[in-house]
Amino acid sequence: MTKKVTLRSGLLLLVCIIAVAGAGCRAGGSNTNAYETHDFAMGTSITQRIYGGNAQQAAREVIDEIKRIEDEMTINKPGGEINKLNNSAGKAEIELSEETIYVLEKAKHFSSLSGGAFDVTIGPLVKAWDILGDNPRVPGDEELESLLRLVDYRDIDINREAGTASLKRPGQIADLGGIAKGYAGDRTVEIYKKHGIKSAFVNLGGNVVALGRKPDGSLWKIGIQDPRSSTGDYVCVIEIEDKAVVTSGDYQRFFEKDGKRYHHIIDPKTGYPANSGLISTTIVSDLSIDADALSTATFVMGLEKGLELIESLEGVDAVFITDDKKVYATENIKKVLTFSGENRGYEYVEER
Amino acid sequence: MLKKGDLVLTAVLLAVALGASAAIGVYRNISSGLGKTAVIKHGSQVIKRVDLNKVESPQRLEISKEYKQVVLIEEGRIRFEESECPDKICVKTGWLSQMGQTAVCAPNRTMIVIEGEPEEIDGVTY
Repeated sequence: MTKKVTLRSGLLLLVCIIAVAGAGCRAGGSNTNAYETHDFAMGTSITQRIYGGNAQQAAREVIDEIKRIEDEMTINKPGGEINKLNNSAGKAEIELSEETIYVLEKAKHFSSLSGGAFDVTIGPLVKAWDILGDNPRVPGDEELESLLRLVDYRDIDINREAGTASLKRPGQIADLGGIAKGYAGDRTVEIYKKHGIKSAFVNLGGNVVALGRKPDGSLWKIGIQDPRSSTGDYVCVIEIEDKAVVTSGDYQRFFEKDGKRYHHIIDPKTGYPANSGLISTTIVSDLSIDADALSTATFVMGLEKGLELIESLEGVDAVFITDDKKVYATENIKKVLTFSGENRGYEYVEER
Repeated sequence: MLKKGDLVLTAVLLAVALGASAAIGVYRNISSGLGKTAVIKHGSQVIKRVDLNKVESPQRLEISKEYKQVVLIEEGRIRFEESECPDKICVKTGWLSQMGQTAVCAPNRTMIVIEGEPEEIDGVTY
């Protein structure tokens, strides 16, 4: 009898200890020291959250680095390496930095891998539409047809050993807009590591890269935005560590003309904004540059071909949302995905 | 005797634990309630800092940078109310009321952030 009661008391005591410890943990969670900054670069907002290490200096270095990459890789303002290449299209081979060669090679690789659904030579079409620029317009069919002939990633010749590259024909334009932000994400993580930082998170206008885990040992929780709602609502949450997450969608950047909406992801085959039935494609991978190119590629390819491509790649996962509000995910990501879109009319298709 | 003693001891411990738990909870609520600061920025420069819990009557803040915008500040919440920017993503974002929430206008290089670590998720991809 006595023994029984002592046992029960012991159990209750344990409950009490857990209750106190639990309360303590919750209170402690908000006290971990995060250094957070918000800046603008690459035409978007950049949020960094860094735990420990030399956070402030690392954050500043990251912004300087992102601005430098933007200067080298944008075709929206003069100067920079990529413009050098484009200005010599059809004329000469150009010496480029190791970095630009690396990004160009990646871009060409994913152009080829996606059968041209992502095409790094899409520049002439992007310029004609100017969807992200000051004077967006709908180009005529004839104009598009002639520009389409300039789009062919096989016309980029890259010689890594010599550090040179060239575009075959005059008028061709390499556009790293679909991959440079991804590259910047990878560089950001390298800078964090250099400063001895083990836990950090960066969001480059929707391109997320997470380094390590959170200081309390938990995984980073990343929401995938509801493509048919205002910013901030999400359809599902995925939990990650040491991964890049990039989403392409038709809803963030677009312009409207005569009541019709034209989004910014141009299909290199048609010359028009992609219309594959997908409205949001999210790629999760080790490298942000890969995720960036693949999110665009699969957005253009559509559900079936997109899933097929992602499933053929090691260590790459995806979450796709179709225009009839169905959410699909690859096997590995299903394990860390929490669906929460049912209230907003989404359906999670777990078995295809 | 032993039985009674055990019960008393358990009751005391439980009371202490619950009390401590509640006290920490209350403290946490107070401290998170105290620090709800919204920051309005242009580029890297802070335009205004406001404690959302100390807003007595709604305020309108006009921003005249590349594009004109109006920020509406109420008790406990803040938003971009109007904007002449092309995409209006900032306005569509709606009200911000929780720590870690942001509204961004990329064309105008402005943003509103409620300082503090987000409670539900760490970030959103879009």
